[in-house]
Amino acid sequence: MKRWFWFLLALLAGASAGLFYGWRLDPVKYVDTTPDTLRIDYQSDYVLMTAEAYQGEGDLELAARRLALLGNRPLADIVRQAILFGESRGYTDSDLERMRRLEADLQAQFPTGAGSAP
Amino acid sequence: MNREARGPWYLLTGLLLGAVLGVAYAWMVQPVEYINTSPASLRSDFKDRYRALIASAYMANSDLVRARARLELLQDADVYQALAEQAQRTLAEGRSPEEARALGLLAVAIRQSSSAAGSGGVPTSGETPSPPPPATPQSTTNFTATLQSIPVITTTQAAPLGTPTAPVTTTQVLSVTLAISPTLPLPTARSATATPSPSSIRFATLTPTRTPTPLPTRTSTPTPGAPFVLDSLRQVCDRQWTEPLLQVETLDAARQPVSGVEVLVQWPGGQDRFLTGLKPEIGPGYGDFTMTPGVTYLLQIAGGGQPVPDLTTPECEDATGTRYWGSWRLIFAQP
Repeated sequence: MKRWFWFLLALLAGASAGLFYGWRLDPVKYVDTTPDTLRIDYQSDYVLMTAEAYQGEGDLELAARRLALLGNRPLADIVRQAILFGESRGYTDSDLERMRRLEADLQAQFPTGAGSAP
Repeated sequence: MNREARGPWYLLTGLLLGAVLGVAYAWMVQPVEYINTSPASLRSDFKDRYRALIASAYMANSDLVRARARLELLQDADVYQALAEQAQRTLAEGRSPEEARALGLLAVAIRQSSSAAGSGGVPTSGETPSPPPPATPQSTTNFTATLQSIPVITTTQAAPLGTPTAPVTTTQVLSVTLAISPTLPLPTARSATATPSPSSIRFATLTPTRTPTPLPTRTSTPTPGAPFVLDSLRQVCDRQWTEPLLQVETLDAARQPVSGVEVLVQWPGGQDRFLTGLKPEIGPGYGDFTMTPGVTYLLQIAGGGQPVPDLTTPECEDATGTRYWGSWRLIFAQP
């Protein structure tokens, strides 16, 4: 019985040491991630950049390819999410308008909403 | 063997087993999920796409403050270098010339704004440039910029970014010093009305002064449709240049340097491209290509410019009679 007690204690000590090492001494470093893992504010700014570039370039296919990096959701949904975030965070009207225009053009191009990457 | 003779090995067994169980839990039961990451953690090819998108957005809105704040998110050691290298790489790989140009122009704008913060100054167009000084790594990104009718980016420091801040007027010229930390949060809200409120700009230490600083000279961009023609071609003998170069400078019709012009160099069995403007320390419309002695080159502005054939590495001789390789200096201008 005494032996089991010490065995379990050692087990706990080993697990604790592993967790301490993994969480404090050498925590996970996020590298080589993909754009769809970006935090919502970064994703929203990515969408805004796409909308800004689309305004200058007028290339919807290129804009769609850029947005497709943010995941497999319908592209218009991705833009809508960014618009909602922007509205809640006080983006300027002109920025919101750019994104709304992109969303409208995407919906016109992909009316079913099913399309993600072109 | 009785129990006592086995010694404390069971303790070591418990430790190892515990560690194995911990790792198994971390890897299999509840593996790490990559969510809420930042642009700095993106894989290098995605960083390239992110950087290219920043440049494309900059081409559309000409908002250098916003572009710079976005670039800081990628945490490149040298923002200018990263942009310039990607521009050249994009050209060399034969990908979108528009993207390469956007990257190149943003690189130039970044360098010019940084130069304006320091001593600044670029050689007068047409002068023979001196070799660039060795690059000095910059550990911090302190620069002075003049805000003129451009919205000021406001950000928040904590995780849910984008808390709206007090509006900032942009109708008057402000000379501000921005001290941007390498870990800038994302710009999320911008305003362009009401009264100047430097305190509302949270991502940087902003100190307005009443001494206007001139805006960095904006490098001209080529006039669409106007082909570049060779304005002058001359041999350059200067030992300061350590290798023979094809030095190209592009000027617009007003004789102002033009950056972001793609130059095509061909030789028997190969070709390469480069952009002007990526070495603004020499000149905003300057670009060069290293020649190999004995090879004959043809150089022209991409997109139908006047070709200049039969360019071979010239030989020069100094005062002591020592021979060395020289360079060619070509100035192209739009009529």
